[in-house]
Amino acid sequence: MNSARFERADSSFVAGFVAMLPLWVGVLPFALTYAVSARGSGLSVWETQAMSLFVFAGASQISAAGMFAAGAGGLAIIATTFLINVRHALYGLNLGRRIPRGGLAQVLAAHTLTDEAFGIVSARKPTLRFLLGTELSLFFIWNLGTLAGALLSSSLPDPVTLGVDFIFPLAFLVLLLPLLVSRPAWLVAGFSGLLAWLLSGVVNAGLLVLVTGVAGSLFGAWLLGSRDEASA
Amino acid sequence: MSPLLVILGMAVVTFVPRYLGLRLAGRAVPSFWLRFFQFVPVAVFPALIVPELAGLPHGLPSRIIALVLAAAVLLRWRTTWAALLVGMAAFWLLRLVPGL
Repeated sequence: MNSARFERADSSFVAGFVAMLPLWVGVLPFALTYAVSARGSGLSVWETQAMSLFVFAGASQISAAGMFAAGAGGLAIIATTFLINVRHALYGLNLGRRIPRGGLAQVLAAHTLTDEAFGIVSARKPTLRFLLGTELSLFFIWNLGTLAGALLSSSLPDPVTLGVDFIFPLAFLVLLLPLLVSRPAWLVAGFSGLLAWLLSGVVNAGLLVLVTGVAGSLFGAWLLGSRDEASA
Repeated sequence: MSPLLVILGMAVVTFVPRYLGLRLAGRAVPSFWLRFFQFVPVAVFPALIVPELAGLPHGLPSRIIALVLAAAVLLRWRTTWAALLVGMAAFWLLRLVPGL
């Protein structure tokens, strides 16, 4: 992305909406992936769309579709969703200091907060209007992609026969790799992968994600903590 | 639990941290938990990949090869689209090979 262009601060809603456009290309296939896998897991078109409208958090939606497909229990799906999405609190804590509080607009800003919007807004001086522009830009394309994928997949036969189920591990690998930018990140991913391997077939899919997610994150927090102490 | 009820629960547990973060900005969060949350995606995604590969009766080699190809495309060209397309195409082609 051209950071020089970002420095002239146009803080309007439209500027925020436009700043998100380059990311549409990356987000659209995930919206389609989510919708096709959600439909494949047995959710209706409306349920598939409702998740994009009311949850609006890509990784957790794809994982929920995978868990629905694996027959995981509702509470395990909700707990895993919480575990994946609780990171948004960090973005809010960071942005909240710089963005004035504004009733309903703030509720909307909270509901549509994403990694991508946080990334773009962090790169410049944010305003509530600009933030909403980036957020609703992504909300729009995510829901449009969901609708397209949900309708498209209605005409497809059994996803496992088609091999569409392979999109799950593939999509999560594509989400994971860009995050592996440090030694602790590699160690945590390796640790979680090994733990998941050991737990496969021992506990159900939902519990596996929950236990591995908590254990891996604790391991990472401990790794960074002991490194900081060592360097202090 | 009906799917719509699960989706409603997901919506609530997703909205609360999003909103609380914006509301509570300026207060201190213990640094251990800041680090914990930072690692959640890295810890969760392997748990969504590995069980899809562990304990398969057949088809493991074609899946591994397709994942490696997709990873190579992603690391080389940094394009999500291309990595997903190459991964799926490779998997579909390799499935046709007996023994993979």
